[in-house]
Amino acid sequence: MIERQRDLRLYIPVYSIFIAIYVFAGILEPTFFTWRNNANLFTRITPLILAGMAQSFVLLSGGIDLSIGAIIGLSSAIAVSLPFVDTPLNVIMWVLIPPLLGLSLGLINGVIIAKGGFNPLVVTLATGAIWTGVTLFIMPVPGGSVSLSIARTIPGTIFEVIPTPLVIFLVFVFICHFILRRTEFGRSIYAIGGNESIAYESGIPCTRVKISVYGMSGLLAAFAGMFLSAWMFCADALIGKPYVLNSIAVAVIAGTALEGGRGGVAGIIGGAYILLLISNILNLLAISSFYQFIARGLVLILALSLTSSGATLDIRGILVRYFLPRRSTTGEIGN
Amino acid sequence: MANDVKNLRVVSFFLQQRLVIILFLLVVAMFVAGEFVSKGFLTSYGHICSVLRSASFLGIVSIGQTIVILTGGFDLSVGPLVTMGNVFACMLIKGINSNTPWALAIIIFLGAMFGFFNGLGVAYLKIPSLVMTLAIGTLVTGITLLLSRGAPTGLASPILRYVGVGSLLGLFPVIILIWIMSSAFFIFLLQATTFGRKIYYIGANEKAAFLSGVKVNFVKILAFTISGAGATSTGALMAGYTHDAFFGIGDNYILWSIAAVVIGGTSLAGGKGGYVGTIAGAIILVLLESLLTVMRIPEAGRRIANGLIILALISIYFMGERKRT
Repeated sequence: MIERQRDLRLYIPVYSIFIAIYVFAGILEPTFFTWRNNANLFTRITPLILAGMAQSFVLLSGGIDLSIGAIIGLSSAIAVSLPFVDTPLNVIMWVLIPPLLGLSLGLINGVIIAKGGFNPLVVTLATGAIWTGVTLFIMPVPGGSVSLSIARTIPGTIFEVIPTPLVIFLVFVFICHFILRRTEFGRSIYAIGGNESIAYESGIPCTRVKISVYGMSGLLAAFAGMFLSAWMFCADALIGKPYVLNSIAVAVIAGTALEGGRGGVAGIIGGAYILLLISNILNLLAISSFYQFIARGLVLILALSLTSSGATLDIRGILVRYFLPRRSTTGEIGN
Repeated sequence: MANDVKNLRVVSFFLQQRLVIILFLLVVAMFVAGEFVSKGFLTSYGHICSVLRSASFLGIVSIGQTIVILTGGFDLSVGPLVTMGNVFACMLIKGINSNTPWALAIIIFLGAMFGFFNGLGVAYLKIPSLVMTLAIGTLVTGITLLLSRGAPTGLASPILRYVGVGSLLGLFPVIILIWIMSSAFFIFLLQATTFGRKIYYIGANEKAAFLSGVKVNFVKILAFTISGAGATSTGALMAGYTHDAFFGIGDNYILWSIAAVVIGGTSLAGGKGGYVGTIAGAIILVLLESLLTVMRIPEAGRRIANGLIILALISIYFMGERKRT
């Protein structure tokens, strides 16, 4: 019960901002509500959601992963370098090889960070540089190709109605939410992020969990890279670069604390939409792209001040108090 | 007896500074290695100056980054701010000497203002600095693009050119002298003033610093303001080096400045380290780039080498002081 209330406190600000922006966009531009624009949005948002969840896992454990962009780039480069003639074997290879690669790269990060006790920011910055270098060796210029059935299915529709990206990101968010909230692994992530020494004293295998968290992050980043390659029909070694900082922004807007132990992935869809909708709205209004940066910065600051906790000027607190009964304050204990 | 104590003091000083000593030894080793690869890497005065000149831009940006990281934050807006300083410098100066002073004043003021906003968000809205500075950085990019209408115009003035590429008495590059002077000032500020000590206290334990009466929010805002002003003025100085403006000029400085600070041994958790190490860090990064260039290593190999050297250095640093997890 307390957990449910805590979730509400986290997700009400995110989703209310999301709905506000969404409705605002629809009022400004009626074509915004068309199925076509929304289907397009589903495709564009999926890699952002996957990258945001990859980052969320790491942030919840108290770490940070700056190599997400490099893993996205490498996995998409590998995905388009595989043979693209449309045979079942090739499709299976496409489905299996990039995620396994992403998983192992993430595990390498995890081993260096957890076994070595090094600062995750520096380690992932360095390993990210190494993997981008490797990707540039494999693919110095953008190119490659994917098999036709994949390129048709992934950005397309299921049964001609349901957009595949929608199904993909809903399934992934559900699985990740389930892992975080209903499994021992998930609970240990929160425990470690909250207080690592207490988690260690309570018998949680900290090193193993931390390694797995980075593995999870690499795996999700690889899926994001695969999705991008299927969508773009080719790959670029540097395609993941914007996802490094955007994934952090999405995770934080979605209510995950940078210091770890607090947050989750249920708000991630709202967080990703907030980031994406700003440019979508300005495109629909045919406003110069220069203003997009400014609007993006301002909305980011607004969203962050609403979702960050413990501020002197506690806008979020006022909002939450307005939406929720007062007894929910107990929810803060043990956060 | 007195001699022994003195010796002990000398030994302990070197032990404390062992990191910085290792770093400067590494710089020398890299120069020597470069000499083997390409003649004149170490022995040519011109080459040493050109390495130090590139390092001075990175070094000046990293002053603010060091101070912010010492308080336990990050400044990701330095990249966009460098670009802003660079583009605005050329746009306002238009190649005329008499425009230079007020243009520089406006540019430094703008940097300080956006740094101040960073500080406000981090201190009063409690937004994590990583994302707050990211948001302000996006905003700054937008404003730079908007005011320059997407195409940088203008030129650096002769006096700015002199600062960027000229040498005093034909021997000491001006930009390196500026770097040395600002380094000396900020090392003094960090080591010998109460403001500097407060920065370390806040980084080490913010709550304890607050309870001991340190005005945490004020110091944090000031740290970000210094960083912002430093970033835009570096951009302006770079206009003197490159003669005209370029939009992508600041992009690399976000991660490079953090890398220089980290290589310099400053703890990302805050409260430990200093600017002396960052100087070595900046030189090492630029030197590595130069070394890989003369070795004709492609972009891919350079990135790998950069990553490996950072990993190698941090594993050396933390070898002794690994924390129990």
